[in-house]
Amino acid sequence: MLLCVTLPVRSISHLLELGAFRPLVSVPGYSTRATSESVKFCIMVSSTETMEVSKFTKLNSARKSTPCSTNVRATPDIEKTFVHRVYDAIAPHFSATRFAKWPKVASFLNSLSPGSIILDAGCGNGKYLGFNPNCFYIGCDISPPLMGICAGKGHEVLVADAVNLPYKTNFGDAAISIAVLHHLSTESRRRNAIEELIRVVRKGGLVLITVWAVEQEDSSLLSKWTPLSDKYNEAWVRPSSPRLHNSVALVLEQIPETNEVCSATEISKDQNALPEDGEEDGGNDDTLAASIFNGVQEDAVSSGSGDVETNQEYFVPWHLPYHRAEVSGRLTTEIANGLAKKDDKKGAVVYNRYYHVFVEGELQRLVAGIDNVKTVEQFYDKSNWCVVLQKT
Amino acid sequence: MRLLTHNMLACNIKGVTNGYPLRLEAEKWVEKEVDFNADFLRGVFPKIDWPALVGAARALGFHDLLPVDAPDPSVLASDDELLRRFHRALLQLHVEEGGLVCPETSRRFPINKGIPNMLLHEDEV
Repeated sequence: MLLCVTLPVRSISHLLELGAFRPLVSVPGYSTRATSESVKFCIMVSSTETMEVSKFTKLNSARKSTPCSTNVRATPDIEKTFVHRVYDAIAPHFSATRFAKWPKVASFLNSLSPGSIILDAGCGNGKYLGFNPNCFYIGCDISPPLMGICAGKGHEVLVADAVNLPYKTNFGDAAISIAVLHHLSTESRRRNAIEELIRVVRKGGLVLITVWAVEQEDSSLLSKWTPLSDKYNEAWVRPSSPRLHNSVALVLEQIPETNEVCSATEISKDQNALPEDGEEDGGNDDTLAASIFNGVQEDAVSSGSGDVETNQEYFVPWHLPYHRAEVSGRLTTEIANGLAKKDDKKGAVVYNRYYHVFVEGELQRLVAGIDNVKTVEQFYDKSNWCVVLQKT
Repeated sequence: MRLLTHNMLACNIKGVTNGYPLRLEAEKWVEKEVDFNADFLRGVFPKIDWPALVGAARALGFHDLLPVDAPDPSVLASDDELLRRFHRALLQLHVEEGGLVCPETSRRFPINKGIPNMLLHEDEV
């Protein structure tokens, strides 16, 4: 029988780490719709499979170690695995390749008065630190290796979390967040990061935010990205997997209460048709399984273009050439864990970075929910959505 | 980490209301020359928490570098010698190894190779 499930993104990464996705098989022609907070996919479940209650208990205790809480400041596993660890691994290469100064950021920085204190939250390799020599910059990033590289260049930096900045309120004159927010996996965290940027600048202070747009200028770029659902598809489409039979229970444990069942109707390729609720072909579900599927989507963001099927969750590859790849034992472990893959054709190790790319209007919607801020400028430039905000 | 940065760091552990200033423990520090810019110094002075700066300078052993009481802005603007001492404390002293300690929780944020690590543990957010 066919069952469909919507999982919060946080749960997916936890389950991935548990290896729980192996038995899930994609059903051709079915929608794998993703919102900003969750991914929906369909699985084939044998009606004869039994769910073992004991497995649920085991997983419940495993779950405690993961911040599956609703605390917006706790880092979700998907970010730990596909943002933090990846940037740590690629830091020197990433730093060496990030040197072009984006004109819009440059002009923003140059517009600030001499003597300004500028905070760069998510500063990466410190490309913009010290850009306007009349100002004092403090950069922070979640990646210690990247901060080490910045410090080596003489920049003033710290290791910190953009969702919880360690700065006093009202201190900075300006703040920038360049290509950062799209690495945050929930709408609440993205909004929280903007609130932090506003909090740390003085009244009247300016904040520049840029994020990757779904609406890429080079649309062929999207074909190089893996939509979140495809990635998990890849991880769990293993028809020959020996774990095919028993692990469905592992998947189900994470999903609370209500039942959502798809009809067997084929969904069109452009994903416009929504799956209908209804009884499943092939008889009665296992009630235990059925009771656990969940249709809840947390903080779902409707896309500005009006098309709720627009996928905004992607894995974007980073190719780390073999000659640059660290030769520590860590690389071998990362490949073994599925964090990285070797691409002999390209002579590189491929890492995937998690992105939530923004649709038109989405940044503005996030800002609309925040007090004491006004939008000074908003624009699209080189496949990025950008805003300049002012603290009021 | 410069003392200007120290002046703006606060403990962001959930529920903490008295997390500033962080007490500076300096195990290793160096002095690096920075171009003197009077305009910058005069501009940044109003933002500086003077007692926190004095405390941090003292943690590095500089007990008489800065006056205990915050100078009047007009005095600072005209007194070049005082301005230079302010410059030295704020921008030239770098803490390379040490820690920043929250006054309320005593949580210590380490400083390694000049970089403070302000990341919180999961139970602190």
